[in-house]
Amino acid sequence: MEEDRRKDDEDNKLALQFMDSLHNYLSLTHSLSSTLRQGWLELASAKHSMGTSRVNTSVLDLKSHSASTTLKITENDDGTQPQFTLQKWVSSEHESTKLEDKNEHPQDSDTKSSDNDEVRKERDKSLSVFGVLISPKLRATQLSFEKALETLIDIANMRSSVLNSFTQLHKEVEDTKE
Amino acid sequence: MYGFEALSFNIHGGYLEAIVRGHRSGLLTTADYNNLCQCETLDDIKMHLSATEYGPYLQNEPSPLHTTTIVEKCTLKLVDDYKHMLCQATEPLSTFLEYITYGHMIDNVVLIVTGTLHERDVQELLEKCHPLGMFDSIATLAVAQNMRELYRLVLVDTPLAPYFSECITSEDLDDMNIEIMRNTLYKAYLEDFYRFCQKLGGATAEIMSDLLAFEADRRAVNITINSIGTELTRDDRRKLYSNFGLFYPYGHEELAVCEDIDQVRAVMEKYPPYQSIFAKLSYGESQMLDKAFYEEEVKRHCLAFEQQFHYAVFFAYMRLREQEIRNLMWISECVAQNQKSRVHDSVVFIF
Repeated sequence: MEEDRRKDDEDNKLALQFMDSLHNYLSLTHSLSSTLRQGWLELASAKHSMGTSRVNTSVLDLKSHSASTTLKITENDDGTQPQFTLQKWVSSEHESTKLEDKNEHPQDSDTKSSDNDEVRKERDKSLSVFGVLISPKLRATQLSFEKALETLIDIANMRSSVLNSFTQLHKEVEDTKE
Repeated sequence: MYGFEALSFNIHGGYLEAIVRGHRSGLLTTADYNNLCQCETLDDIKMHLSATEYGPYLQNEPSPLHTTTIVEKCTLKLVDDYKHMLCQATEPLSTFLEYITYGHMIDNVVLIVTGTLHERDVQELLEKCHPLGMFDSIATLAVAQNMRELYRLVLVDTPLAPYFSECITSEDLDDMNIEIMRNTLYKAYLEDFYRFCQKLGGATAEIMSDLLAFEADRRAVNITINSIGTELTRDDRRKLYSNFGLFYPYGHEELAVCEDIDQVRAVMEKYPPYQSIFAKLSYGESQMLDKAFYEEEVKRHCLAFEQQFHYAVFFAYMRLREQEIRNLMWISECVAQNQKSRVHDSVVFIF
């Protein structure tokens, strides 16, 4: 009886975990939609402010260059739940392992300040295809799409969590039937 | 002498002044904008514009429409009006009309040079150039590696040649050099246009001085705000401001050291004509600054039509038409993105 109650508690916990994950997944999807809408409108606003000759696809850089943001996928021990991590604004002058080192060690205020400067420089470098003296609206657009990218990664992680919870729940239900 | 233009202006300029006033009456009204703002799709916008002077330019465009198509076709209307006036104009009006297009020429030069630096196809870049700023050897810009070559190979035979004296270097072109070149050229162009209008004298000089001074002041504010937080030094920023306008020279000294929007506001509020612009904005806000400037610009350009026998009406008409095209672009984007609630964020009514 004690064992049955413990099993019921575990099933309830799994069910709640699944429902929470699903709720968060739907919230994040809604958040992504509104962030992207804001980003597109800000881009139109930047085009309106700076002119269509300055903000258009024909000024984008086709020279080969390293990505400023990369995605890292890791899996847990049993390979059931992949984890997605965004490494944003990796400087082209430094190796990507630098960011990983920063995540492992505690940072003091000087380090944080120099990191912020680096991130700001990478952001400016990314926007420099449109010119150096650009409207604040274009910078706001960049931040919106950056936030959308972060939300996408959260959605991917949440989806991974939903699928994992669902698999575990399904397995429990199957075991119960047996 | 100012005041006697009525005796002789109509001999050479009367026909074209009548033409441009006719064009002015064809600008979209508030009722037109209200109809456009209620459109659900871009095809609805095309249908509403078919009853305006843009109708013949959009009628053959197939669905589905794109916002860039609407802007391109409406720009063709402006180009046709301009070319008709230019081919009918005699000196000095023809030179005055050519001056109006040098800003677009500078934008096209910078677009080609930037695109080439980014290894874009030249044909693709030429399609994006503004038609009012085209010249014969524009495609040759793609072969230049630095500003000296840019000048020697291409620009020496264009109207922009005199403006290059301040920015010729042998440094390879990069994003910062190109930006400084853009702003230095535009500064030289504005100052040259200002001197030309002063030489014309009379009502043209008086009205154009006001309009160009506003343009110079607005550029100074935009350069200041856009350079906050960038690598552009204070000295370099100061060098990009034009040597005329209400802010020249003391306002420029203060703007050069501004580090945020509130400091810019503090500078501008010392000048009564610009107090009304920042009165519409809350502290720390810069999003609506563009609209405030455009509204002020439209007001000044509309006032130019209150007086006769001067060339400023041509300049004012071109700028009002460009504002109208910007309005149409914004309305189209809001309709296409299903964000009609934001349409009044950037539309500036002309009448």
